[in-house]
Amino acid sequence: MVPPSHPSTHPSPAIPIDVANLVSPILAECIYNRRWLPRPTSMTGSKSSRPTSETSTPGLPATLGQTARATDDDAKLIFGTVFSLRNMVRKLGGEDDNFVTYRTSQYKLHYYETPTNIKFVMLTDLKSPNMRVALQQIYINLYVEYVVKNPLSPAEHPGGIGVNNELFEESLEQFVTRVLS
Amino acid sequence: MPPSKTRQQSPSSAMAVFSLIIINKAGGLVYQREFQPGLRKLSTNDYLVLAGTFHGVHAITRSITPKLPLAPAAALATTPTTATTPSPNNVVSPSATSSTPTSSTASYSYPNPGVPATGLECLETDKFRLTCFQTLTGTKFLLFTDPLMANIEVVMKKIYELYADFVMKNPFYQLEMPVRCEAFDRNLQGWLRGRT
Repeated sequence: MVPPSHPSTHPSPAIPIDVANLVSPILAECIYNRRWLPRPTSMTGSKSSRPTSETSTPGLPATLGQTARATDDDAKLIFGTVFSLRNMVRKLGGEDDNFVTYRTSQYKLHYYETPTNIKFVMLTDLKSPNMRVALQQIYINLYVEYVVKNPLSPAEHPGGIGVNNELFEESLEQFVTRVLS
Repeated sequence: MPPSKTRQQSPSSAMAVFSLIIINKAGGLVYQREFQPGLRKLSTNDYLVLAGTFHGVHAITRSITPKLPLAPAAALATTPTTATTPSPNNVVSPSATSSTPTSSTASYSYPNPGVPATGLECLETDKFRLTCFQTLTGTKFLLFTDPLMANIEVVMKKIYELYADFVMKNPFYQLEMPVRCEAFDRNLQGWLRGRT
């Protein structure tokens, strides 16, 4: 979908995805959060800080330019935004209407909500195509396979416990770097 | 069968402008009008709530713009210079200190540099598309259209033009207050009908 000219002309690849958030349905809490940086050089740099789930990062490295506190606040703000917009859309379009995406002059936010109200949010740059299918695939092929089917994983994920398992992280990494960009 | 069905729908729905909402700079609803059915009707109170909510969400969407840290190489390059400059050359130190705050504040860039960060501009759902245009003075125009409709900018520009002509130039209109201008209503309705 993405024209191959973009990565070569622009220093950043077509899809510098910043945050993929999972929001748990009951506590409205961010249970997984991960940033990808646009440049391949910084991609390796961020690998040292791989477990980016909220609890497992006492302090993100300074290269990320953001403290864990700021990331936490961002997750809350994103949840609030998505929650309000979803309610607004349901009010106007009817109960079966779904909020898909919004864009500003700087970024695009993609949204997918599972039937069990787990919310998948992805922030990308403006050049990326519609990511709803990608988010759905992350849910079906990665989240369900590696988190839900993991017998050791708890039913709820307070603070991201159980989501930050290695299989999920690794396959997510592969999915984003290979399939999406 | 499905292709013919969509082809039948497209001429009528491609130009569908469902409704227009104008929000003043404080987040208050000043104008709401439905042009074509397609969205659910809300009570006046719900529209007021919607305007206020959108106003807040719009501000938040701007503040959550992802900040991309600048290349680590550049950050490394700036730190040694700031560390070394004070001791070897004292003469250049004032200029060096003046340059350090700019480097520390610009430690990140936006994904789309050169363009000021704005709030939500366009929201898509399964059933409608919401386009938001914010004027320089902070008034927001929300246009609800069919998701397939093209050239929304043209419609938005015309609506802004009509607003400027018939609302802002109306000597009896009080700023930030609800818009009750018959001429605006008439012209808006007439222009949108003429377009379809």
